[in-house]
Amino acid sequence: MRGRNLGTLQVASSLAWAICVFLAGVELTGQEVEFSSPGLPPSKMDAAGRLVEDWGSVELQVDGSTLAEASPKVFPTMLDDCIPAALAQVDRGPIRVTWFAYRAPIFPSGVDVLTVRLEAAGRDPVPAWVKLRLSAEAKMALTTARIGNRVVLSVPLETFAHVQTRDWGYVNETTAMPGWAKPEGPADPAYANIRAGMGGVPILYRFRVEPGSQAVVILGVCESHYDRAGIRPVLYEVEGARPEVVDPIARWGRHRPGALPFRARDVNGDGQIEVAARPLPAARDRNPILNVIWVFQGNKIPTLPRLISGEVSQTAWRYVDVGGQNDQSFYLGGPLEFPVMVPATGSRQLTFLVACPGSSAPVPESTAWTADSLRQAARDVWLAWRR
Amino acid sequence: MSASTAGASVWLTSARASQREEGPAPTDYVDPASLRPKPEVRVMATFLEFPRPYWLGWPGTAYDLDARQAEFRAALEQSAQKLGIQAYLEPRPINNEGDVRQWIQKVKGEKPHAVLVILQHFGTWGWASLVGKEAGVPVIIFSPIGMAFTGHVAGPARMAGVHVISSLEWSAVENALRAVRAKRMFEETRVLWIRGNEHSETVVERLGTKVRAIPRDTFNQEFDRQPVTEEVRELAAQLRKNAHDIVEPNQEDALNAMRTYVTAKRLLAREEAHALSMDCLGMVEAKLVPTPPCAGWTFLQDQGITAGCEADLYGALSLMLTSYFLDRPGFMNDPVPETVHNTLIAAHCTSGTRIAGFDKPPAPYVLRNHSESAIGVAMQVLWPEGEPITLVRFTGPHELIVDTGKVVGNVPTPPAGGCRTSVEIAMDEVEDCRDVRGFHQVVTLGNHRAALRAFCDLYGIKMTRSPRFSTFEGGAA
Repeated sequence: MRGRNLGTLQVASSLAWAICVFLAGVELTGQEVEFSSPGLPPSKMDAAGRLVEDWGSVELQVDGSTLAEASPKVFPTMLDDCIPAALAQVDRGPIRVTWFAYRAPIFPSGVDVLTVRLEAAGRDPVPAWVKLRLSAEAKMALTTARIGNRVVLSVPLETFAHVQTRDWGYVNETTAMPGWAKPEGPADPAYANIRAGMGGVPILYRFRVEPGSQAVVILGVCESHYDRAGIRPVLYEVEGARPEVVDPIARWGRHRPGALPFRARDVNGDGQIEVAARPLPAARDRNPILNVIWVFQGNKIPTLPRLISGEVSQTAWRYVDVGGQNDQSFYLGGPLEFPVMVPATGSRQLTFLVACPGSSAPVPESTAWTADSLRQAARDVWLAWRR
Repeated sequence: MSASTAGASVWLTSARASQREEGPAPTDYVDPASLRPKPEVRVMATFLEFPRPYWLGWPGTAYDLDARQAEFRAALEQSAQKLGIQAYLEPRPINNEGDVRQWIQKVKGEKPHAVLVILQHFGTWGWASLVGKEAGVPVIIFSPIGMAFTGHVAGPARMAGVHVISSLEWSAVENALRAVRAKRMFEETRVLWIRGNEHSETVVERLGTKVRAIPRDTFNQEFDRQPVTEEVRELAAQLRKNAHDIVEPNQEDALNAMRTYVTAKRLLAREEAHALSMDCLGMVEAKLVPTPPCAGWTFLQDQGITAGCEADLYGALSLMLTSYFLDRPGFMNDPVPETVHNTLIAAHCTSGTRIAGFDKPPAPYVLRNHSESAIGVAMQVLWPEGEPITLVRFTGPHELIVDTGKVVGNVPTPPAGGCRTSVEIAMDEVEDCRDVRGFHQVVTLGNHRAALRAFCDLYGIKMTRSPRFSTFEGGAA
């Protein structure tokens, strides 16, 4: 094993990767490691590196055609000199895989933070798949795995920053509802399907574009649940354009397909145009809906009645049947499977939140916790408790 | 168990044991001012302008950039001094996108608690949006009149973590800075959650407040250790002397009430905590104390120390909001609909008296006992009729219910039952009093809806309200 340097602080570049391995004199192999936070029941990492909780376990699997097989070493460690954690490490040929878990003391019952780091030492980038396997039967989605109503594992949105992406797609978890709408009159078939942000979750899409470029984005909306105005106004936002609050019933009527054109621009130059349908805090119904997205290059807006009827959908640069058949995630891979390209002499780090005894993991779409703030919370609590 | 965790467990136990032995003695004086958090607050600020000289385009050639910027610079300095925060204003205005991006990098490096951008041309909104999106900290955009149309404001004003002020009112900027300070106080606060039999410490999402759970018995055991000190005697005398009237409580009740206050201060100091919320009713029900803590809690609240009832954590956090942001105690209450008057009666036993502000004269109060148990001391605080009020309630870390109204009376007990302080409120823009949302809402004097908007904008909190129109229309199902 290369470079395991006991008793020293390993400092890495990105996320305050400060792990003090303080194990002098402790047997390193074949042991399981418990960890917790003040006053909360412990979790453990078993000798195989699985995270074991009261609901089941999480096993990390890293696949890649160039990777060597090897077994991990598991040992206790201390993060930031104060946070007890379990750490596993294995050299897999061109990459080293390290994962560690600690308890973030979030109110009321805490959550376990599992961080996976892939480091490449060679001159070539290394493709790898990070996969999480759960021992228990869970309902999988883009960002969560649930057993009943309990979120046993969640994938923070920031984790996807390291995952390979498609040219367009949704970037968070909302509910696809095919056939929900009953569009009347000439209407593109995509109007029949929606995504809904149940529980007040925004619906978010991204489209890759030339950095700084412009486009015309048209959002198609058809409300078929309510029959009177004032209940479900929705805020529609497209990057670079003025946002618009629309009450579909007031504007077009029940079952009537409508279209909202926006002149979009990649304002922050990140090569992506973001599209969002957000709830209004004061609305009676805070579940935003979206039926169709058309993206046209340039700045010419097509005739809306023709667009609504579906006549020009095939000429669109991007045509998204939201919640329907051609809908897709922005990210490659499947639930709990993450394709990652580890850069030459660089690293990639993915973080996951795992329900610990008595808790449910935060839902990424509605939580304010980040990897940094969770770590800060753990640091604050341990330091205060020690004092 | 592994060597590491075995070590940690031993360490934990010993830490707690030693902590119990430390802290002030029952006869020590604890300065309440030392219990209120005093966080460091750093704000970075800059002017955004177009290259000079101006010719057409708002604010126009006639706009005296140097004079206005000197005024804003002085105002910021004054506000920072008043609020006790550190504000770093760039010495020169930024006037091109490259420098905006460079400044954003500087912000990312220095990690202030918020940034303030002061717009000096209506063409700078794109840069302001860039700051809002990229800075990674809460952003206050101040657009003096003459820098924006509605179209400019619409986008940035809806960005998470951005508060837009399109106005000439500098007080709104100061209010936003006050929100930043309040948030830092939330982050620096450890609230003692006195209930059950647990010892633990956790952190509240978004607000960053630490919650230290300690067993409920801790309080009554410490109360039992608390003698009648000189401080207790003086405070009890003051409590009686300042009362508009005394109905039930006797001298011993007053002494016991002030023993709860001194016990609470001592416990807070020992645990390095700044606020508390206790399962007080459970303690009274079990007859563990001779008095509920109501009057002691009133004293704490008047001194800016949040003291919440019934171990309702989000109730305590709502109280904290009025204390830290509005500089006045709130009144956590049970909401009672008065269906004949179509009013709301906010009823509980722990209203602060300095409801107009910590530095303002207190409201009159009557010394009563705790009505549910008929023991101890609870104050009936008489709220000023005709004055506006605001009701706030965190339903969780992501949502704040904000309603407003007007005090129309103080309901006496008897003939009413319930709680000693019972404030009758005519709600603004809530057609039916039965629709008022929330429980254990916090009433505070003054209409603070606009001010609270800044706090919610900056920290991504949904600001909601009770339904404007009746949900009972049409009668029974």
